Amino acid sequence: MLFAIVLLLTIGCIAFVLVREAQRAPRPDGLRGRIRDRGWGLLLLPVAMSAAVMAGGAHGLIPAELGLATLAIVFAPKLAAKLVPYGVLALAVFGIHLANTYRHGNTSGVQYLFVHAVSHGATELVLAEAALLFVTGLWLLLRLDSPGAGPVRALTARWLGSGRRGISGVQALLLIPVVGLTIQLLGPGDWFGWQAIDGLDVALGDLTLLGGALVLIFRSRVWAATLAAAGLLVLGAYGWVITVFWPAVPGFAYGFSDLHNSPVPAPLWTDALEGSLLLAAGLWLAPRVMRHHLTDLPDPELAARARHLTQRVQTLTQTRHDAVDTAAAELRRIERDLHDGAQARLVALGMSLQAAQRLFPTNPEAALALVAEAKESSSLALIELRDLVRGIYPPVLADRGLADAIRALALDTPLPVELDLDLAREVELPVASAVYFSVAEALANVTKHAGARTVRITLSHGAGMLRAQITDDGSGGADPALGSGLAGVERRLATFDGILAVSSPPGGPTILVIEVPCALSSQKISSC
Amino acid sequence: MRVVIAEDLFLLREGLVRLLTAHGFEVVAAVASAPELLRALLEERPDVGIVDVRLPPTHTDDGLRVALQARRQVPGLPVLVLSQYVEQLYARELLADQAGAVGYLLKDRVFNDEAFAAAIRSVAAGGTVLDPEVVQKLMVRHSGTEPLTRLTPREHDVLALMAEGRSNAAIAQRLFITEKAVSKHAAGIFAKLDLTLSDDDNRRVLAVLAYLES
Repeated sequence: MLFAIVLLLTIGCIAFVLVREAQRAPRPDGLRGRIRDRGWGLLLLPVAMSAAVMAGGAHGLIPAELGLATLAIVFAPKLAAKLVPYGVLALAVFGIHLANTYRHGNTSGVQYLFVHAVSHGATELVLAEAALLFVTGLWLLLRLDSPGAGPVRALTARWLGSGRRGISGVQALLLIPVVGLTIQLLGPGDWFGWQAIDGLDVALGDLTLLGGALVLIFRSRVWAATLAAAGLLVLGAYGWVITVFWPAVPGFAYGFSDLHNSPVPAPLWTDALEGSLLLAAGLWLAPRVMRHHLTDLPDPELAARARHLTQRVQTLTQTRHDAVDTAAAELRRIERDLHDGAQARLVALGMSLQAAQRLFPTNPEAALALVAEAKESSSLALIELRDLVRGIYPPVLADRGLADAIRALALDTPLPVELDLDLAREVELPVASAVYFSVAEALANVTKHAGARTVRITLSHGAGMLRAQITDDGSGGADPALGSGLAGVERRLATFDGILAVSSPPGGPTILVIEVPCALSSQKISSC
Repeated sequence: MRVVIAEDLFLLREGLVRLLTAHGFEVVAAVASAPELLRALLEERPDVGIVDVRLPPTHTDDGLRVALQARRQVPGLPVLVLSQYVEQLYARELLADQAGAVGYLLKDRVFNDEAFAAAIRSVAAGGTVLDPEVVQKLMVRHSGTEPLTRLTPREHDVLALMAEGRSNAAIAQRLFITEKAVSKHAAGIFAKLDLTLSDDDNRRVLAVLAYLES
C-alpha cells in the first residue's frame, strides 16, 4: 500500500514538472532547466522503482536500481528517455507472465504496481494493469520518437520515410510470419521446460510478441528485416536438425506440420522441405540486410551534419539571391542617377559652352552669361556626383573605417547622439559597409519618424560577434514588416549571416540590435 | 605669397597652379603625394599649404593627416584643405588645436576664383575658413535647440557667414547690408548666445564654432 502511494506520488510529481516546464518556452537556468532537459527520462525513476519492487527486493535492490536510474538520467538523459518505453513494455510482459503463474495455482506475493497479488483472484487485476502498461509503453515509444506528431502521423512518417533505402517494407514484414512460426514452436506443448499455457494467456503472450514485432517493424525497418533474416535461418536450420536427429513425436509442431492434435506423425521429409524453404528465404534476405548494415552505417553525427549543411545551403542560396538582387538594383539606381544627373548636366554644360563660343565675337555679354551658366551646371553635376558617391561607398568609411564613419554619421544627424564605440580591430570593408548603411538607415528612421530627443549608438566586438545597438527615446512602433527600410537592412545583413533585432513597443523606447558574426564560412569576408 | 600645392590628379594640380599664379601667388612646390607634401611643408615653410584630403600612397585621408602632422610640428602653419566632400569630423580635427590659420573647403569652391583667393589669403593671415556646407550641417544640427531658436532669420544668416570665416565687410557685401548693420547683428547674436564679442575675426569664428560644436 505504501509502495503504491509512493509510486503514484512520484509519477504525479514528474508529470507535473514535465507539463509545467513544457509550457514555458525559454529554457530556465539552474535546476529547473536541468530538469526540463532530462524530460521524459525522469520517468525512468518510477519504472526502475516498480521493477525493483516486483523483483521482490527490499534487500538493497530498490536503492541500487534507483541509483542506476538516477545516474542514467543525470549523465545520459537521452539514453534514459529511450529506455523508458522499453522498461514499461518489459513490465507489461512480466505482468502477463505473472498472470500465467497465478492461473496455474502458484503464488509469489509479488507487488505488481498497485496489486499485491498473492492468489489466483488477483489475475484479472494484474492483467488489466499489464494491458495498461503495454498501451502506455507503445504510446511512449511513438511519442518519444516523433515529438509533437500524433501516433498515426508518426507511424506513417516512419513507414514512408526514405531514410531506410535498401530494405523494402515487404522484407521488414517477413518478421510477422517468423514471429508466428516461433510462437507456434514455443507455444503449446512441453518444450525445453516451457510451461504449457492455454486460452487467454496464450492469446496475450502471442499478442505481446506480435505487438513487439509490429513496433519493431514500424520503428526500424532495417532491424525488423535483420531479425526476420536471423529467424528464418535459425528456423530453417532447426527443420533440418529435426529431420536428421529427431524422430517426429506427437504433440509437436514445426512449420505447417501441426502435429499437436494429430495422432499420426507427419513424414519427416515435410520438415526437411519446410526447413529448406525457410533457409532459402533466410539466405536470400541475409546478404541484403548485411549489405545495408555495412554500407549505410547509421552515424548520427554524420546525419546531423548533413542536415546542418542542407540548411546552410538553403540559407546561402537565399542570401546570395538577395545579395545579387540588391546589387543589381543598386547598379540600376546608380545608372539612372548618372544618366539623369551628372551626364545630363555635362551635356547642358557642353551646349552652353558651344553657344558661348558662337556668340563670343558678336555678343560677348551674352556669351559671358552662358559661360556662367556652364559653371553653374558643372557645380550641380559635382553636387550630384558627390551624393551618388556617398550612396555607393561613403568616403569617410574608406578613409577611416567603421568607427569614424559612424562618428561622422552622428555629427551629420540633427539630434544629440551619444556614442560608445569600442572596436579593437578594424572591420573588413564589405561588413563595415553593411553595418554602416544599417546604422545610417536606423538613424534616418529616428530622425524622420521617432520624434526622439536623444540617440545612443554602441559598437563592440564580443563572443565572435560584431554588435551595434541603436537606442532612441522616441515614440516606438518601428517594425521591419511595415517599412521597406528595415527589411532592406535585414537583407543586407543576411549576406554576412548577420541579424537585425528590433524592440519597439508603442511609446518607445526603440532598440535596434545588429549582429554580424566574425567567423564566417567564407574566409574572404570574415569581419574580425 | 608663397604656396605649396598637393594634389595627385595632374589636370587639377596644373589648373590650381595656373589659377593661383594668375592671382599673384607664388607656387613654390606642387606635389602629388603625402610624403612629398610633408617634406615641402616643413622645408619650404610656405605662407599657406593647399592640400587635397585624398592623396597617395593609401588614397584615403593621407593629405589631411599630413596637414595635421605638419601643424603639430609647426604650430599654426597655415593649411587650406580641399576635398571632393566635406565631413564635420574632419573639420573638428582641423579646428581642434584652436590655432587658427586653417581652412576646409569643397573643391567646387575653386570655381569662384575671387572668393577662393580671398579664402587663401584669410587662412594665410591666421583666419579660419569653413565650407558653407559644413556650416550648414552644423546649423541644422543645432537649429532646434535653445537658444539658436531665439535668433532672427537675419541673425541666423549672419551667424552662418561668421562661422564660414567671413569678415564683417564680406558679410555686409553678401547680405546687401551695411557693415554697421552687420556689427549690430553680431552684437545681438553674441549677446543671445552668451559669447564674448571680439573684434578679431578669427577669435570670433572660433567662438562661434566652439558654441556650435558644444
